[in-house]
Amino acid sequence: MPSRRGHRRVATIVAAGLGVALVLTGCSASEPEKTTPAEWELTTSTAAPSGDIDSFTWASYAEPYSLDYAYAFDYADNQVLANVCESLMRLNPDFSLSPGLAESVTHPTPETWVYEIRDGVTFHDGTPLTAADVVASMSRILDPAVGSSWYSVYQNVVSIEQTGDLQVTVTMNGPDSQFNLGMGGSAGVIESAATLAEKGADYGNSTGGVNCTGPFSFKEWKSGESVTLERYDDYWDPELKARSGEVKFLFMNDANARVNALKSGDVDGGWMIPADAVPQLRTSDQGDMLFGLNTAVSNIVISNMEGPLGDLRVRQALLMALDREGIVDAALKGYGDVTDVMTTKSVWVGASDDALNAAFDDITDYDYDIEAAKKLVEEAGATGAELTYVTAPISSDFNVYAQATAAAATAIGLKVKIETVTPNAYTALFSDPSAREGVDLFYTSWYLSSPDPLEMYSVLRTGDFSNYGNWSDPEFDAIVNEAATIQDPAERSAKTAEAQQIANAQLPWLPMLEAPTTLFMGKRITGVTPSVAFLYFPWAATIGAR
Amino acid sequence: MTTFRRVVGKLGALLLTLFLASLLVFFSRFLVPGDPVAFLLRGRKPSPEAVALVTAQYGLDLPPWQQYLNWLAGVLHGDFGRSLQYRQDVTQVIGDRLPVTLMLVIMAGTMIAVVGLTAGIVASLNRGKVLDRSVLIGLTVLGAIPSFVGSIVLIAIFAVQLGWFPSFGSGEGFFDQVYHLVLPSIALAIVFVVLVGKVTRSSMVEQLGREHVEVATSRGLKRGTVIRRHVFRNSIGPILTVSGVLVAGLLVASSIVEAAFGLAGIGSLLVQSVDRLDFPVVQAIVLLVVTAFVVVNAVIDVLEPWVDPRSAAGAGAR
Repeated sequence: MPSRRGHRRVATIVAAGLGVALVLTGCSASEPEKTTPAEWELTTSTAAPSGDIDSFTWASYAEPYSLDYAYAFDYADNQVLANVCESLMRLNPDFSLSPGLAESVTHPTPETWVYEIRDGVTFHDGTPLTAADVVASMSRILDPAVGSSWYSVYQNVVSIEQTGDLQVTVTMNGPDSQFNLGMGGSAGVIESAATLAEKGADYGNSTGGVNCTGPFSFKEWKSGESVTLERYDDYWDPELKARSGEVKFLFMNDANARVNALKSGDVDGGWMIPADAVPQLRTSDQGDMLFGLNTAVSNIVISNMEGPLGDLRVRQALLMALDREGIVDAALKGYGDVTDVMTTKSVWVGASDDALNAAFDDITDYDYDIEAAKKLVEEAGATGAELTYVTAPISSDFNVYAQATAAAATAIGLKVKIETVTPNAYTALFSDPSAREGVDLFYTSWYLSSPDPLEMYSVLRTGDFSNYGNWSDPEFDAIVNEAATIQDPAERSAKTAEAQQIANAQLPWLPMLEAPTTLFMGKRITGVTPSVAFLYFPWAATIGAR
Repeated sequence: MTTFRRVVGKLGALLLTLFLASLLVFFSRFLVPGDPVAFLLRGRKPSPEAVALVTAQYGLDLPPWQQYLNWLAGVLHGDFGRSLQYRQDVTQVIGDRLPVTLMLVIMAGTMIAVVGLTAGIVASLNRGKVLDRSVLIGLTVLGAIPSFVGSIVLIAIFAVQLGWFPSFGSGEGFFDQVYHLVLPSIALAIVFVVLVGKVTRSSMVEQLGREHVEVATSRGLKRGTVIRRHVFRNSIGPILTVSGVLVAGLLVASSIVEAAFGLAGIGSLLVQSVDRLDFPVVQAIVLLVVTAFVVVNAVIDVLEPWVDPRSAAGAGAR
């Protein structure tokens, strides 16, 4: 399932006055930039809590659109839902997949997945989890009237049937290794069938709420302000029983307000800290700034293969002309790394060493080299050609990517027109082909929701919804399609590595950089594991008193 | 009789205005580029049948005029449709947020009335003196501060530095809510205080120079009585007219203040909904603001003759 980072819808009106606030509050924006590169390390876990806690508060950059798992497809939705609703499989912070509401899963034929449902699990209203609930929950994703965002996980499903008291069998129209991998995300969430029927169209919105099996239950959603969860005392898994009585998510759209609240200790923590604020928060005595595993890679999407960028040499030249080290410093304050491929190592779960070498070492490096890049553009006869780059005032780093791309293009003899559109029009680039007409380039940070790099490359097959430039390579398509049918992760990784090599050589998108997941944890709390798995793993359950 | 005819006439004009506004509000959405369904999908890969079914669910497959009639019929029954982003009834979405905005507008309105009138009256009675000049300069300086700057300065000083007031959220329960809304209502009031203050001052100054005031004074009436009966009462017309404009201004300006203070009011909702192509919500809020504006102005028109008898009798009486 293609996942797109659509989280940055900032109140732009307020941004203009930011300078005033920074001066008045004594923030460090006007201090000279540090010249030494930022040093950080990935944290895999934080100290276990010393005890339970009554409640804690959490800052979210936006209000969830919905807590209906069928639509929960973004940071704001999923960071809340992950603590309330559970999936058949569980995606752990190290991105491994383990049994969740399915006690076990078998794969008797290449076309079937058989899930044995865990006994003794109850929904938050006290009713027991049954196979019928599983069938109802999964079938909803296929229901066109629901229009689920997770449909692509189910696209090869033929039937979902109860085949025992606590057994559900899913039949596919062919071998599909990706289906079960998707069951660790929202596509695999199980809700009470009775609740789905009762709430109908209001299921998952601020009045309807949800009734799932997770360590926290849904308590209250104050529209536009907050969502409150409370501990579910009859939770089935003693390992993940919530250490806090309540969690309150506060929607703080204004990045400055969010950072102020964290710095002052008004709010106990938050994911996805604005890059500008990372240095300030690292020196704050209100808590710890942490860096965790991520799956996102920042790319420049080539959305027009008919134009000058249809020539591979021009794409190569543009990537070689991008000062990506400089971009890491300017956009991420140094908290990131340059990459030449479109996946992070973290999603290559179960891959063979050979495959990892092929995918990450046996590839082309596009080192910064203006002269060589210029030569390539000349060879392609593209000197003087004009490109259109679309951007939006979504967050400060967007401007860095736009300016850096324009500077790179100009340096090698291309012309770039930067078009700034509203955040909404920018979102349309990802869903509406007509919005991409006449657009050559735009930026995206693309994260994966399953522990398999194939999720990334399946998106670039000929004709795929998210293959924005209509790039087409039959050899690549064949490799990806074949890989999808291979069950063994190590064997599959070898094929996927071939796909990664092709993408690295052909550059349908220009990979730029990867950055760690960021987290601020206030001094009152501990126990959270910094990882992008916070979108699907019940991370808030592990937080208790420091 | 004349009053009755005036009221009926006003009512007719009011309904006509609202009808025209509803047309404008509804059809302007077709001028905005972008497909609401594409937005609903938010970049996800849908099943082809889902696109058609979702389009139909929101009635987006019908011709525009039919969409308008359905919408209008709904609105007349108090049903504004369903929000695309919240998947919830628009009345519910707006109903959740309206109390905060109303409270904000009432608190700001009270501040505007008290501070603006006081400043204007004090300045006019001390015309030309230091106090008058100080008030005028003070008002001019305040008037130059846009709401978002005011918000940020207030947060920086009173919430972050001094910690006297919360910097975000609208609070729970009446008193906590008032406490939470103090800074936002000040930020919202600033610009309008200036407006009311200046209008009050100039209106009062104009009346103070009138013959009937001199006559009243020469007849030996006390200064306080003259000012209350002859000056202030005659000055109130322009102040009321400005107040009518204020209502719409406050509702619209609240969006900036609400965004800055993280308040879940209809102002911030409007901004969000425009950005997310959530047309049913945008239409409902705009219609609500237009209605509030039109109704308040109609009420002021009806009230004015009672407060200021000259306007009913015609402009001749002096």
